[in-house]
This record gives sequence, structure tokens and C-alpha cells, in this order.
Amino acid sequence: MTDHLPFHVSADELTLHYYGESSQPAQVSRHLDACPACAATFNDIAATLALVEAPVPERGDHYGLEVWQRLRPELPARRPLGGATWRAALAVAAALALSIGTFVAGRSWPAAGAGSPAPAAPVVAVASGDRARVAAISDHLERSERLLVDLTNGQAPGPIAQASVADLVDDNRLYREAAMEAGDADVAGVLDDLERALLDIVHAPSTLTPDELAVVRTRLDAANLLFKIRILSMEMRDRDTMPAAPRKTT
Amino acid sequence: MDAMNQTAALGRAVQGDDDAFAMLVQQHSRRVFQLAFRMTRNEQDAEDIVQESFLRAYRQLGSFQARADFGTWLYRIVANCAVDLMRTRHHRVRRQTDAIDDDTPAAHDQTPERLARSAEARRLVESALSDLSALERAAFTLRHHEGRSIEEVCRILDLGQSAAKHAVFRAVRKLRVTLAPLRLPHGPHS
Repeated sequence: MTDHLPFHVSADELTLHYYGESSQPAQVSRHLDACPACAATFNDIAATLALVEAPVPERGDHYGLEVWQRLRPELPARRPLGGATWRAALAVAAALALSIGTFVAGRSWPAAGAGSPAPAAPVVAVASGDRARVAAISDHLERSERLLVDLTNGQAPGPIAQASVADLVDDNRLYREAAMEAGDADVAGVLDDLERALLDIVHAPSTLTPDELAVVRTRLDAANLLFKIRILSMEMRDRDTMPAAPRKTT
Repeated sequence: MDAMNQTAALGRAVQGDDDAFAMLVQQHSRRVFQLAFRMTRNEQDAEDIVQESFLRAYRQLGSFQARADFGTWLYRIVANCAVDLMRTRHHRVRRQTDAIDDDTPAAHDQTPERLARSAEARRLVESALSDLSALERAAFTLRHHEGRSIEEVCRILDLGQSAAKHAVFRAVRKLRVTLAPLRLPHGPHS
């Protein structure tokens, strides 16, 4: 690492520097001393960030108690997790995981071979370019999200809904592969997680007891999948609507 | 509550002890409200998020066992709730600044700090923040207002480092563009 940065420092790197997270803080500081252009950008960032400070309304010493008093009547009934109950819950989860594992191992996975008709819409969308791919994935994520929201609200899909979930699995696989080919690892990762969850639903829900449904919901919560999908969905919409950013020349 | 007591309360809460959960609620409520307010900039929305976050935490306590840090886990739930709420509020943003009296002097003779307090400036700042995507808003709030490192932002939002960094970068870029009219020609470091 040299003592001098021969080129201008990007605005993003200056943002990191502002927050004390630059990978080369000493070099950036020296560069700012010597480069009026970068110093102006840094000052601009600092001035902008100074503008977004805002006081948070005060909450008194008893606020926590007030929150608890409002919360307590809303809490769902929850049995103490003694050894036997907890072991039973784990057993249900393990049985469910095993059934999914068996399924994933090949018995019912939607085949990619010649005998499997590929859904037309996703193929067209992927072939139409990156923007079309992004729009198609965004739509797919919204449909998947609606399904997962229903599930987390305690509505187990019936047989008809299961068939549409199977379609989602097929679409998801195509989008995941397209994302991988495009080098979009973040998108591919979320779609991979989503695929596993969709497979859970295709094979389990119509026979799930309320307790088993609760276990599936807990697993979705633990994987934070709904949150990831919402975030990715918003990112996709951003990508779809925002023009390409010009290159920084600072 | 010290760390040892929190760990004990957490263990009991996971086992179904509501009194222990009450202790956790009372310990973390103010921090949760603070984060929720900073993400939404609306007091009533922040209260709604506090309530919903603790409800979700209560329902998900069983999945907490393997996690090391309760605060990070709880912050993730809060961020999740805030994202949900911001999404539903997207087309009908309630801004507290609507009630601000427009009684401040013109901007040209103000310091940046005084500008930040002016009604016009605050309206523009609120508008700029509401234009951020939910992810950008969450990442920016955690990095800028909460002072969390990028690494902590990754853990709380369950993002990769690159995604977290770029969410913050995009937020700062958008804010610089939107708030350009408020900035003086020379900043505090010139």
C-alpha cells in the first residue's frame, strides 16, 4: 500500500471515510489535504449528512412498563416449553425436514429434462433482456410473497393453491438460473431460499395440522425469508424504474 | 439489567416465562422506539412498530435459542416491521413536518445547523428520506443514526456486506441530490 492515492477518491469511499470505515483512512486523509476536488466532495457529503439529523421524541422512565401493559393483552397464549413439549416440537420439525429432504432428493422435483414443459412467460422474459428479467422476477417475488403472507397468517394452501405453488417453483428455478447466469448472486441466493420454502409448501400444507403449520411458520420466520423477499422485491422495482447511473468522475 | 440478568431472563422467556419477557420488553422498549422513529420519522408509526416488534419477538422466541445476540435479533425484527409499515405507508406518508410552523428566517443567512431546524429544510429532508427505498432507509438509519458499523448492518438486515454498503451508498447519493438546494457552497471541512 502506497502513502499516496494517485487518483481521486470515489464518493462512496468518501462516505465510508466519513463514517470511519475506510479501508485506507490515513491515505484518504492525506489525499483530502492535497486534493481540492475530493475535499469538496467530502465536505458536500458531510454537509448533507448534517442536515438529516433529527431529535427523537423523549420517552420517560416508565415507557417500558407502558409498552408491556399495552402489549400484555395482545400476547397469544403460549404454553411453557418444558422438555416434553419442546422435544415434541423438534420431532415435528425434524419429520417435516425429512419429508422435504426426501422430496428434494428427487422423487417429485420438477424435472428439468425434455419431458418437462417449460413455462412460456419466464423464458420470454429472460430472453428479452435484463430489464425484462428484473420486471419478471419482481412480479414473481410479489406472487410468492402473497403466498407466504397467507401462510404466515395461518392459511394453509388447499390443493388448487398447491398447483399454483408448483408453477411458482418452476418459474423460480428459471429465474434463479437466469440470475446465476447474469452473475447476480444476491438475487440467486434469495431465490434459492425461496425455492426451498415453496417446495415445503407444495408437499406439506394440505395435510398439515395447526401445530405443524406453526412449525412451518417458525421455520419461515427463522430463515427471515419474507423479509428477504420484500427487500429484494423493492430492490427489483428500483432497478426497473431507475435510469442507469452515470459514472462518478470525482 | 446487566448482561447476566438479561441472559437469565432470556432463557426463562424462551421457556415460556412471561414475567421474564416483560423484563426484556421494559429493558429494550426505548431503544426499539428510537430505531423505529428514526426509520419512520413518525411518532405514531414508531409506537405501532414497537408493539408489533415485541409481538413478533414473543411469537418467535422459540427460534432464538441458537442466536448469540438478543439485541441484533430484536433489531432485525424491528427493521422488518418498519419495512412492512413503510411499504404500506408508501402512498400515504404521514409527515410530522406538516405541523411545523413556518416561522424561520430565510435560508441564505443560516448555518447548516440552523437550516436543519427550519421548517422548509425539514420538509425537504423528510421528503428526501421518504424517497429512499425501504432497504436504503433501513441501512442508512442503522449506519448514520444508530452508529452501527457496516458489519453490524449486515447482521441486523441479514444482508451481504456488498448489499449493505451499497444500500448506504445509494441513500447518501440520493440525499446529496435531493438536499443540494439546502447546502451552503462551503461545508464545515473546507
